[in-house]
Amino acid sequence: MKGNQVMKDAEVTSRSRGSNSLSGRRATSIVALLPFLVFLAVFAVYPLYELFRLSFMETEVLDGEFYSAFNGLANFRKIPNDPLAINAIKVTLLFTTLCVILTLVAGTAGAILVNSSRIFKKVARNIFVWPAVVAPVVVSVMWLLILDPTVGLINKIMHSLGHEPQIWLNSKTGAFISVVVVDVWHWTPIVFLFIYAGLNGINLEILEAGRVDGASESQIVRRIILPILMPTIAVIAILRTIMSIKAFDEMYLLTKGGPQNATSLISLHIRKIFVEVLDFGYASALSLCIVIALGLIVGIAYSLRRKNRSRK
Amino acid sequence: MTKVKIVQKSKINFFLELSILIAIIATLIPIIWIVILAFLPNKSIINSSFDFSFWLGNFRLLLDPSQNFVRQIFNSLTITFGTMILTLAIGAGSGYSLSKLKPPKWATTPVFILASFLPIVPPITLVPGIYATLTNLHLLGSITGLILINTVFNLPFAILMIKSYFDQIPEELREAALVDGAPERKIFFSVLLPLAKPGFGAVGIYVAIMAWNEFLMGLIMTTGGKAAPLTVGIASLVQDYEITFGQMSAAGFVAAIPIIVLTAVASRQIVSGLTAGAVKS
Repeated sequence: MKGNQVMKDAEVTSRSRGSNSLSGRRATSIVALLPFLVFLAVFAVYPLYELFRLSFMETEVLDGEFYSAFNGLANFRKIPNDPLAINAIKVTLLFTTLCVILTLVAGTAGAILVNSSRIFKKVARNIFVWPAVVAPVVVSVMWLLILDPTVGLINKIMHSLGHEPQIWLNSKTGAFISVVVVDVWHWTPIVFLFIYAGLNGINLEILEAGRVDGASESQIVRRIILPILMPTIAVIAILRTIMSIKAFDEMYLLTKGGPQNATSLISLHIRKIFVEVLDFGYASALSLCIVIALGLIVGIAYSLRRKNRSRK
Repeated sequence: MTKVKIVQKSKINFFLELSILIAIIATLIPIIWIVILAFLPNKSIINSSFDFSFWLGNFRLLLDPSQNFVRQIFNSLTITFGTMILTLAIGAGSGYSLSKLKPPKWATTPVFILASFLPIVPPITLVPGIYATLTNLHLLGSITGLILINTVFNLPFAILMIKSYFDQIPEELREAALVDGAPERKIFFSVLLPLAKPGFGAVGIYVAIMAWNEFLMGLIMTTGGKAAPLTVGIASLVQDYEITFGQMSAAGFVAAIPIIVLTAVASRQIVSGLTAGAVKS
């Protein structure tokens, strides 16, 4: 069908390049988009519709069959009365805030340092990317091997220095800090890459002009480089916020949300309700709220950015 | 005055290089440590002091036919290549269409809305819907099912990236070929596609890494069965009642080190994929 269309299009083109060829091109353009549209319909639109539908239903599983009945907003009313959900939202907010700030600071500082380095520029630019390509599952394994009470690297070092071993992942604070450290290690590279690319886009003459005017290196960073990088930093901040709210794999293996739900991020809590509690209606309602919240964050950020741009 | 300035400058540089060195070490320690443990016998791993003795047994145990490890590697490779090829094929057509063929608004608007919305949705929230879809298609617990899911999650980024590569090719080139009477299909395959090849390389590597690293969908859609990818296998090693740290390290080594080596060698392609991928998804 596509071939026919192309041939027809070519014939028309060779005869007369007018409105006919345009409509041929139009048909080809739709045919070429079709596989993507089908994929989205089956694996994105339908699951989102299903999520929406389930969140207004009471669903029960009996002998492997699903029985659903409409129950209005009952699933949504459950959320404020579920202390674990409130806890998960709090944990996610704290986790997101810390991870976004720490990775932004570390990544920006790293990029500025590497950019003015003489010895390590090439090596660091390469190595600093590595954590971002490691599978999250393997990242948890790597950090388990560092934090574990017996085989962990930290406790081995402490043992050789004559200290008592610590069980890092067993205390609420210890586990939460560990999870943040792991996330910072894993995703600072993304911030680094962006800022580094942004730095290389800065016109060197501007920096030279600053130096000629007698600005110190720290003044140049604070007054010239950072303001120029601000739009890039804003984009990456939104990106990191989304990534942190979506975080799942690392915590699922490292802490399973424990101890006492101290690292129970919202994705982990939703998984538990879907897979272990099997309360599909409630899990969907909670999911829908998260999706809407994320949509709002991105929507607001996007419109703010457009406003900013049009002002300039 | 000049002298003071020079001294100050070299001093600053020393701290700068030192802090970068520390950051490099901090980045490398978890990677080096898993490599070391992968080659240690369990006796030395469990020892609370440092004890280094080279051993290949962890790998030998993993590769034992009674383990699922070899099959999981094979599954992951199939999923990775399947996803990469399918994503590039669909992405090439759609990216080209969006860039050069000016499709009508009613077709592009949903594409752009969904392509920017899908990446912000936490995958866990789509689990019930995707589970139902795969059940209806009889693809639950199959490698094909996982290829399709991975493809859909990578397509939004891939299409926008490929579109931007086609955007960089001047319109005149296509028009000249059209004037010469070349059919649309021929222009695509023999003129524009070869020109966009480097871009496809970057997108392909990025998609391959994403598919190789994927965990959540693999976990839920295979429940650790025959079609489970390597990441799910590693997770089951971590959650075993009796954790064998040596094998766990060896498995992590197999999953991560090839990708890291690839990154070290082809860093330019991977960097362009990662930065664009992060913005566009």
